[in-house]
Amino acid sequence: MGDTTDIRKGAVIRHNNELYVVTSCQFVNPGKGQAFTKTKLKNISSGKGTEMTYKSGENVDVVEVQRQNIQFLYKNGEFFSFMNTDSYETLDVSSDIIGDDTKYLKEGIMVIASLYEGNVVAIQLPKKIVYKVITAPPAVKGDTAGGNVTKEVELDNGLKIHVPIFIKEGEEILVNTETGEYGGRSAE
Amino acid sequence: MRSHIVRLIREFFWDQNFLEVETPHILKTAGQEPNIQAMHITIHNEHHEPFYGYLHTYPEYAMKKLLAAGFGNNIFSICKSFRDHESFGGTHNPEFTMIEWYRLDHDFFALMDDMERMFQYIAQGLKIKNFDVPSSLEKLWKRTHMRDLWREYVGIELDNYLDVSSMYELCVEKGFRPNKEESYEELFYRIFLDAIEPNLGVDEPQIIYYYPALMASLSKRSTKEPGYAERFESYIDGVEIANGFTELTDAQEQLERLKEDKNERARLGLDDYEIDKDFVEAVEHLPACTGNSMGIDRIVQAFAGCKNINDVLALPASEIFQS
Repeated sequence: MGDTTDIRKGAVIRHNNELYVVTSCQFVNPGKGQAFTKTKLKNISSGKGTEMTYKSGENVDVVEVQRQNIQFLYKNGEFFSFMNTDSYETLDVSSDIIGDDTKYLKEGIMVIASLYEGNVVAIQLPKKIVYKVITAPPAVKGDTAGGNVTKEVELDNGLKIHVPIFIKEGEEILVNTETGEYGGRSAE
Repeated sequence: MRSHIVRLIREFFWDQNFLEVETPHILKTAGQEPNIQAMHITIHNEHHEPFYGYLHTYPEYAMKKLLAAGFGNNIFSICKSFRDHESFGGTHNPEFTMIEWYRLDHDFFALMDDMERMFQYIAQGLKIKNFDVPSSLEKLWKRTHMRDLWREYVGIELDNYLDVSSMYELCVEKGFRPNKEESYEELFYRIFLDAIEPNLGVDEPQIIYYYPALMASLSKRSTKEPGYAERFESYIDGVEIANGFTELTDAQEQLERLKEDKNERARLGLDDYEIDKDFVEAVEHLPACTGNSMGIDRIVQAFAGCKNINDVLALPASEIFQS
């Protein structure tokens, strides 16, 4: 048993005897009113989504999950294959579980998996991931005049994002996986 | 856009002869609301003697002290406020910018007009600077009596549930499992958050007015609507953006409410804040007035269409502490 402070993305909650994984959560405190946490949950067995609002301090049945570093290998039809780097065992995770984060996956990156009864129920990406820019249009004189100081580039996993115009093909850049935005040049 | 909005807010109040005031951010004691936690600080004088205090969570007590001292003017303040134990990002940042204003000799309906006119003024000013403005922010806001919300979404007459025991029974009836010692406010919010809150301010800004008297906070009990207090909140895109009151001017009642809040803080195991006696005295001399506060970051979010407060801050706490 925990309370609302234990609710975070990837946590597993028991509600009406069903297990749900938290896909997003937002803390709200109106100040002169009751604070609460709004959550989006996904039923682990049916995959169905639902929303719940918890009053701050309320008891929440947070289920212990095992946290494990896993490495992304490749996409395998509807599934994404990862390797448990301790046991070298391969784990197939359906795209439903990864959700929108599938677009950030690239071969070799490490993510943290939440495992419940041996199954991956959620993954957590690193906050910033390094990608190589594979195609970038050159900066055109006059681009900055209209306030247009970014351009779209394609990264080595196919992801397209907006970056400052000085970024060139072949450079390594960081992408913030929480906002989906450019997070600086890679220092590596 | 942010700097234009702050400038337009100032212009809006200056044009109506409001006086801009500044109040201390460092206080000896903090606001009593059980839902707001202040940040502790230690300061030292030249003899290195320590003094323990808090960063203010809102400028309300200090502004009321100014009004009570006989400023004789409508006043506003734009300041940073600080709150602990809230999320870094999303709808909160530990420090945020607030606009708070007080209008003499008016009730809370005047504040609702102020708020609508201020948004129209900002919208016009931004358009002159070639910004796109959501059309919903230029219109008059939807105003809904709290009682009507409970009729529509819960199907009950709120007038019959204005005390702790009836609200407790209603919670049980609706399938909640409240504790016996829960306050009226906690019980109220069990149902409100579940059935009502997700529907507020979805397509257009919305004002909810008249709160049950047991949730009056610093507002005056209504004489027109017995059992209710002259308090409102407003929502844009499901996010609470303002909280306004016809201000309580009865010092005895103010003291009682502060004591209740202090007890509630103790029951919840929160830090104990000393009651600010100067504030209670100020309430005794407070002229009839009405006051509202709004988060400026959230105003910017509404105009810019940003869901996350971090997108309108230069250096959000998550960037400073968590990156």
